[in-house]
Amino acid sequence: MLLNSVIIILREVLEAALIISVLSALSQKLHVSRKWLIIALLSGLIGAITYAINIKVVSMALDGVGQEVINASLHLLIYSFIVLLILSLKDQSNHRLMVFAMVSSVAIAVVREGSEIIVYIDGFISSPELLLPIIIGSAVGAGLGISIGVLFYYLIVNISLNRAVKVGLIILILIAGGMVSQAMQLLIQADFIISQQPLWDSSSLINERSLLGQLLYALIGYESTPAPIQFFCYAISLIITIILTTLTIRSYQQRPEL
Amino acid sequence: MIKYRVRYYLLILFAIVNVPVLAAPVIEIEIRDHLFYPDEIEIPVNTKVKLLIINQDNTAEEFESYELNREKVIPGGSRGVVFIGPLQAGVYPFFGEFYPKTAQGKVIVK
Repeated sequence: MLLNSVIIILREVLEAALIISVLSALSQKLHVSRKWLIIALLSGLIGAITYAINIKVVSMALDGVGQEVINASLHLLIYSFIVLLILSLKDQSNHRLMVFAMVSSVAIAVVREGSEIIVYIDGFISSPELLLPIIIGSAVGAGLGISIGVLFYYLIVNISLNRAVKVGLIILILIAGGMVSQAMQLLIQADFIISQQPLWDSSSLINERSLLGQLLYALIGYESTPAPIQFFCYAISLIITIILTTLTIRSYQQRPEL
Repeated sequence: MIKYRVRYYLLILFAIVNVPVLAAPVIEIEIRDHLFYPDEIEIPVNTKVKLLIINQDNTAEEFESYELNREKVIPGGSRGVVFIGPLQAGVYPFFGEFYPKTAQGKVIVK
C-alpha cells in the first residue's frame, strides 16, 4: 500500500510540479513578482476541493462520462493557456496577459491533479489502519514530485535569460502536447471520438508503469499504445506551439540581456 | 420562444452524442470489498463495449488498464462508464489502482 501510494501521488504531483517550477523560474528570470503563484495555488486548491466534493455528481453526469468531459476540458484549457503564455511572452509589454496565463494554467493543473489526490486519500480516512502508511507514502510521493520540480526550477533559474526562455518554453510545449494527447484519450474513453487500434506498442521498450515511463508521461505525454487520433492531435498541437515558440525565442534574441 | 429553440437544439445535440452509446452492448462490473465482480469478462473481437462500473464500497477506486489505455476514478458509492474496444483478440488485464493487491481483473477478447 505504501509503495503504491508513493507512485499514485508522484504521478499526480509531477505534472503540476513541472508546470509550476517552469513558470516560477520564468517569472523569476523576467523579474515578475511571484505573488501570482500564491493566487494560483489558492484558487487551484479551492477548485480541487470543490471538484472532489462533487465527484459523485460529476461521475454520474452525462451518462456516466462526466469526468472524462470535465477532465478533457481542463487539459485543453491548460494547453490553451500555455499557448496564450507563449504569445504574451513574445510581446512582453502585455504583462497582465502573461500573469493571467500563468495563474490560469497553474490553477487548472492544481484542480486536475489535486482533486484526484483528495479523492484518493479521502477513501482511507474511514480505515485508520491503512491511513498512516497511505499518508507516509503520499508524503514521499509528493516530496519526490516536488523535488523534481525544484530541480527543474534551479536548472532554469541559473542560466541566461535567452536560454531560460528557450528551455522553459520547450518543457512547457512538451507538457502542453501531453495535455492534448490525454484529452483525446479521455474523449475516446467517453466514446465522443471513435476508438481505433493503437498506432504502435512500445510497452516492451519503455513501460508506462516504470519510473521512466511515468516521468516521460508527465513531461512529454508518453503513451506506449497511442491511438492514431491521439498522436495526430499531439503532433498538430506541437507544431502550433513550436512555431509560436520559435517566434517568441527570436524576439528575445533580438533584445539585449536584462 | 428562444428558450424552446435552445431546448430543441440541445435535444438534437444529445441525440447525436448518444447514438454510439445506444449501439454498444453494456457489461456491468461491480466493485465490492476492493474486488471486481466479475473479474473476468469476455467480449467479441472488433466490438465496442460499454463498461458500467458500479462501486459498492464507500472508498473510491481507480479503474486502470495500461493495455486498454483506460484510467478512471470511480467514487465510492457511485458509478461510471468506460468504453472499450473495438479490440483485437487477446487478454487485457485491468486493475484498481487504489487497491491493486486485490482489485485485479481481465478482459478476454475472443
